[in-house]
Amino acid sequence: MTQVPFTSEIALVVATMLVAVGVYGLMNSKNVIRVLLSSEIILNASILLVFAVSSLAGRSYTPLIFSVFAIGMALTEVVVAFASIILYYRQRGTLEVD
Amino acid sequence: MFLTQTDLQDTIFLVFSVTALASALFIVNSKNVFYAAVSLAFLGLSIAVLIADLNPAAYSLYSVFHIILYVGATVVFLSVSLVMFRGLEVREIRTPWAPVISLLAAVAFFSVLVLSTSSIAISAPPSPDLQTLGERMISQYWFPAIVLIVGLLTTMIEAIALARRD
Repeated sequence: MTQVPFTSEIALVVATMLVAVGVYGLMNSKNVIRVLLSSEIILNASILLVFAVSSLAGRSYTPLIFSVFAIGMALTEVVVAFASIILYYRQRGTLEVD
Repeated sequence: MFLTQTDLQDTIFLVFSVTALASALFIVNSKNVFYAAVSLAFLGLSIAVLIADLNPAAYSLYSVFHIILYVGATVVFLSVSLVMFRGLEVREIRTPWAPVISLLAAVAFFSVLVLSTSSIAISAPPSPDLQTLGERMISQYWFPAIVLIVGLLTTMIEAIALARRD
């Protein structure tokens, strides 16, 4: 049986820890920008996870294409989220959510 | 005595794993969201290095893409846009059950990971060829590509709308 590469093992652990930190950030804040940043941590963890699993399975094209789309959509998501935050800030004058 | 290439690769991986986790912890604990957004750039850079280090021949292409598009565009956009707000200080709230829930989420996530990856037949990924990548993108993934292009176009329009004064 082929041995699992050390880097892939650590990547799975790091991705899990990043997800935990992201979930902690999501629950521990009322600031909308910090909530957005915490969701970005989870996004980064998921992309690392895609590559870690793909390096185990011997895939190179699928994770590349998948992650290119994911990052492109993340860029779109950040801009849309930011537009919403600006509208919220103009109406309420604060970045805190109830 | 001397480090082999694998040892060096493992050491770099460990160093950047620590950097990624430290950046993530700084993001969720920082009192100023501007510094948290800057820290997100360090997280993005660390993730790019980790991905490249998993298999340099196969994944360095994406790593460059991650640095250019994610760190260079998304995080810089986020950091620069934050200047528009006054009062970037975060009011701290401490949810008592947040550490427990995040720990449970991590345990559940890791269990699913272990279960789903235990049956994978391990093999090394081949080096991607740019021409094949482009051909696959156009032939198999044309619809997501169109959605992405439309998404980025609306993002551009939205950025212009944001920059306008009322």
